[in-house]
Amino acid sequence: MVHALSSQSVIATSNLTKFYGDFKALDSVSFAVEKGWVYGYLGPNGAGKTTTIRTMLGLLKPDQGEVQITGINPSKDPVHALQSLGYAPELPTLQTFFTGEQLLDFMGKMFGLATQARKERIKQLLDLVGLKEWGDKKIGNYSKGMVQKLSVALALINDPVVLIMDEPTIGMDPEATAHFRNIFTTLSKQGKTVFISSHLLDEVQRICTHVGMINKGRMVFDGPIAQVIEAFTQQWVIEAELKKVTKNMLSALKKLDYVKDVKAEGNKLKIELKEKKDFRGEISSEIFKRKGVLLSLNLHKITLEDAYLRALKGGQ
Amino acid sequence: MNALRRVAVIIGYEWRRALAKKWFFALVILAFAIQVLVFVVFNFLFTNPPANLPPFIRNALGQIKPFMWTVEVLIPQLFFMMPLIVIMIAGGSMSEEYEQGTSDILLSKPITKLEYMTGKYLGGLSLLSFVAALTTILGAVLAIAFFSPQESLQFIPHIYLAIVYSNLVFLSLAFMFSEVLRRTTLSYFSAIGVFIASIVISGVLSAVYSFTWEQLYLDVSKWLPDWGATNFSSFVREKLMNVPVTPLTPSTQGGSDLLLAGAFIAAYTAIFILVATIRIVRSDVTKKAA
Repeated sequence: MVHALSSQSVIATSNLTKFYGDFKALDSVSFAVEKGWVYGYLGPNGAGKTTTIRTMLGLLKPDQGEVQITGINPSKDPVHALQSLGYAPELPTLQTFFTGEQLLDFMGKMFGLATQARKERIKQLLDLVGLKEWGDKKIGNYSKGMVQKLSVALALINDPVVLIMDEPTIGMDPEATAHFRNIFTTLSKQGKTVFISSHLLDEVQRICTHVGMINKGRMVFDGPIAQVIEAFTQQWVIEAELKKVTKNMLSALKKLDYVKDVKAEGNKLKIELKEKKDFRGEISSEIFKRKGVLLSLNLHKITLEDAYLRALKGGQ
Repeated sequence: MNALRRVAVIIGYEWRRALAKKWFFALVILAFAIQVLVFVVFNFLFTNPPANLPPFIRNALGQIKPFMWTVEVLIPQLFFMMPLIVIMIAGGSMSEEYEQGTSDILLSKPITKLEYMTGKYLGGLSLLSFVAALTTILGAVLAIAFFSPQESLQFIPHIYLAIVYSNLVFLSLAFMFSEVLRRTTLSYFSAIGVFIASIVISGVLSAVYSFTWEQLYLDVSKWLPDWGATNFSSFVREKLMNVPVTPLTPSTQGGSDLLLAGAFIAAYTAIFILVATIRIVRSDVTKKAA
């Protein structure tokens, strides 16, 4: 997968390769993220997610390849490339000698925001992330979840066009996690591009429009989230629960053109389909024809987790 | 926002970072305490000189009294307090950010590595200037209040600038170790190690010189980083006022040593800053320590 570095892409990487000594941490990683996408970046521990992000920010120099943020290479011109970017690192350690307000104010200064603009933005952001009452407290007194929330606020201080988040909801309680998911979705609707590195597949499936998967430094998938599920779906399965399963019914179902195999476990049937199509109507008609009493009938589609695990096993 | 403003933001940050540390205040208070202690000793010698005080010391005390402000001002430098303070300021300046992972946050903002490093260095330098201003003011005030009349007070700014300049060596050395090693404890130990080793070797060379009278030993000792750093401000004082730094210190060679000390300070500072610059520009930002 090689993406031409296009000026239309908000984030674009091309053949990104990075070595740590002899260890190849990134191997020709290429992807492009367009405006308004919520891009989920998935991979197991040590796959190269954080290395990719740190290279995207210009903190690491790639041995080969190039990164562009809004068309600018951050290694060559960090001042312009990072002006419209917000970044929240994984489990950040923030400067504990500042209060939340002071740190936001300092970061606002780094983006050249005027005093009044900073004041207003700080108030808005503390309210947004639920730290209104904690703004004047030293960060040393914050919990892990609060530091994470402040880190997201810091990433938003400059009203960025592109937001890069490394495991943004780690350490947050379920209520805060749901709130932050809404924030990311809202930002995307406002036309901002959100890049989220996460190992929470459920989170990625809920909020991301596109997904990239990396394993052992190599991209194993890059595309819309629906496409990844489709790409890694080997077969669809219908699970049926009946009052009573008869041999006659079992052999009739096996003979159907679109059925690959049927397995019975007590009163439950697992019907493997030849095609990726919803045959629940046809199956229920067949069962009724054989005087069967149907208690439940479900089509089991593949989840992102299934797709992810298959992708990692080289299932594409 | 232009580069100067970005550097200024980092200077302000560096002040906040250093002033949040208790050891910073402890060292400054210790420097003040040494100044006050020296003042008490001299005040005792001037007001109640012991009867058995040798005449040459009594004579030297009389000579130094109108210039006591210089003694008071230079004491933190001569007692190695200022070099120690600057090592503590600069030794963790870069490395702490790498260790804590805050460098990732700072360097993912619209700022170049060079601007960031310049802000950090100038932040340390401005802190050094501030501490030197405090010790200079305290020393001068004590001398003016208790040992009046004081002479050559118009040279206070010159001496102050000489103190700041002479401390550039160890400020830059500690800063270089902080950036190159990227580990704070290692950086402190390395800078203090070089400082102590330099003083010890100087002492040994001086001792050998006093036995052999071979000029070579003194010349070699001048190449050590502590020589310019600890002597430059005294040479400036001697050049401006033509008096030895303490009643018992012999007069030095004046102008030639002053220039040599100034040149060594400039050379060491330039080398240390260059090494730090090469390191930050050419290498990746080190990941947070586990």
